[in-house]
Amino acid sequence: MSPSAALESPVFRIYVALAVGVLGVGAATIGVARYLFRKKVDHAWKAYRGWLVIIPLVFAVLFLGRSATIAFFTLVAIFAFKEFARATGLYDDWVVTGAVYLGILAVNGASLVPDPRTGEPGWYGLFMVLPAYVVAAILLIPIVRNRAQGQLQTVALAISGFLYIGWMFGHLGFLANSKYAYGYLMYLVFAVELNDVAAYTCGRIFGRHPLRSNISPKKTWEGSVGALAVSCIVPWLLWFSFPHFGPLELTLSGLIVGVGGQLGDLSMSVIKRDLGIKDMGALIPGHGGLLDRIDSLIYVVPLFFHMVRWFHGLY
Amino acid sequence: MEPWQYDTADDLDQTPIERLRKFPRRPEMFVFGLRLGAAALIRLWLRLYHRLTVVGAENLPPSGSFVIAANHASHLDALSIVSALPIGKVHRVFPAAAKDYFFVSLPRLALAAIVINALPFDRRRSIRRSLTLCHDLLAQSDNVLVLFPEGTRSAAGEIGPFKPGIGLLLAGTPHPAVPCYLAGTHDAWPKGAWLPRPKKVRVTFGRPLVFSDRERGKQAAVQIADQLRQAILALAESRREADNKGKRSGPLQ
Repeated sequence: MSPSAALESPVFRIYVALAVGVLGVGAATIGVARYLFRKKVDHAWKAYRGWLVIIPLVFAVLFLGRSATIAFFTLVAIFAFKEFARATGLYDDWVVTGAVYLGILAVNGASLVPDPRTGEPGWYGLFMVLPAYVVAAILLIPIVRNRAQGQLQTVALAISGFLYIGWMFGHLGFLANSKYAYGYLMYLVFAVELNDVAAYTCGRIFGRHPLRSNISPKKTWEGSVGALAVSCIVPWLLWFSFPHFGPLELTLSGLIVGVGGQLGDLSMSVIKRDLGIKDMGALIPGHGGLLDRIDSLIYVVPLFFHMVRWFHGLY
Repeated sequence: MEPWQYDTADDLDQTPIERLRKFPRRPEMFVFGLRLGAAALIRLWLRLYHRLTVVGAENLPPSGSFVIAANHASHLDALSIVSALPIGKVHRVFPAAAKDYFFVSLPRLALAAIVINALPFDRRRSIRRSLTLCHDLLAQSDNVLVLFPEGTRSAAGEIGPFKPGIGLLLAGTPHPAVPCYLAGTHDAWPKGAWLPRPKKVRVTFGRPLVFSDRERGKQAAVQIADQLRQAILALAESRREADNKGKRSGPLQ
């Protein structure tokens, strides 16, 4: 990944065209709804403006290259974990929060440095083993402080926050080391967001039966099945992203996004419902917090990563 | 099993910019880190470029909350006072800054809230509410509130009349007020100048004054403001005399 490689990559160029097209269609849809059908589009317009910032930002980072991509996903993970820590109250403990930040930096550092044995970009062994060390470091904190009261909650929140937002999401940065980085990364971002949109749209049109009424009352079985159907088609349409994939990998890619994306969304809903909050933050106007935007991606990324590694290796 | 109790932040629905605008601000790890880094750089700049000297630091109360009341002629004023205090106190020092100037545009907001740790003082519409903020701040332990009772930067560098707000805040309270005379900041960076010039800056702290015996009221407020102004003028005069003495005796030694 580099600026020149991005310019030469047909995959990158196609996705840029696709993004411009999607943004154009989005603007046209909002315009038609607003001026032709006189609908209230304030919320959609706010969300659209958010996309107008997010999409060019993601492309700019991918264009800049591997290091910029890993650095960007590191920042996203740090600020996403900050939202989690603020929402759960863990943020009041700066030592534990700081330890998780260091863990996130270490995970992404492992994605950045070459493997000392093979010289390949990204130290996979360290990346996979780091959760053990970070968990050990987090468990050490109450021992050093000689504190027990309430520490199970603190430690459990820190470990789950690190594993979910730091390590699982960290797989996205590691994918930047692959020969097919543009295809993998842009497929994941595009397909997961499309899965979200499809679930929402199918739910609005066909939704009758609640999916998980105690977790996310607005989600329906119809929306979920519709999104799964759309997501299973998408890899075939975006085959150019991973031309080395066979039908099995394409099917698995669709299932991982279709099922994993919705499970990621529901997992974050479980957390939010338990905390009694609507959004994890307000960083992106019209979208809520960073975590509300990437919740599906967090679940999908490691599943896709290890599927790819199993069939084709990473490089 | 008992459900866990979560201490969720009460400002989750606010954007980071809205959170910076709010006062009192919730402690933020990144903001504290940035402020500490900025404080170290500002100290270095003031000591090297403006040869900052501090006189009368022994007059600062060692504990408890107090007010520093200073003359105001430059953007360097608040930075100089903060830099004259121990760096460990940087998150506990709150210079009052004009809400209509510092808390509007994003760069100024970032500067005021992150670097200066400013208290937004609404000098136009709700002075009472701003004074309540100051009062609440002093009610907590070990806070330092920096006030510029002139209300704005003096264009000519002279010490102008003091507004009575500081008197309203201090009358009948046990919080000491330390008069502070800032010399050289006007020459170094006057109102309207784009960049600071390499002029000497000196911060002089006087003996703290306490107004716990004063009854709260407009008259007492005006008197307290005037008393603090006189104390700062006296500091200016004594520094001038000391300087002249130094100049006269300097070449003979």
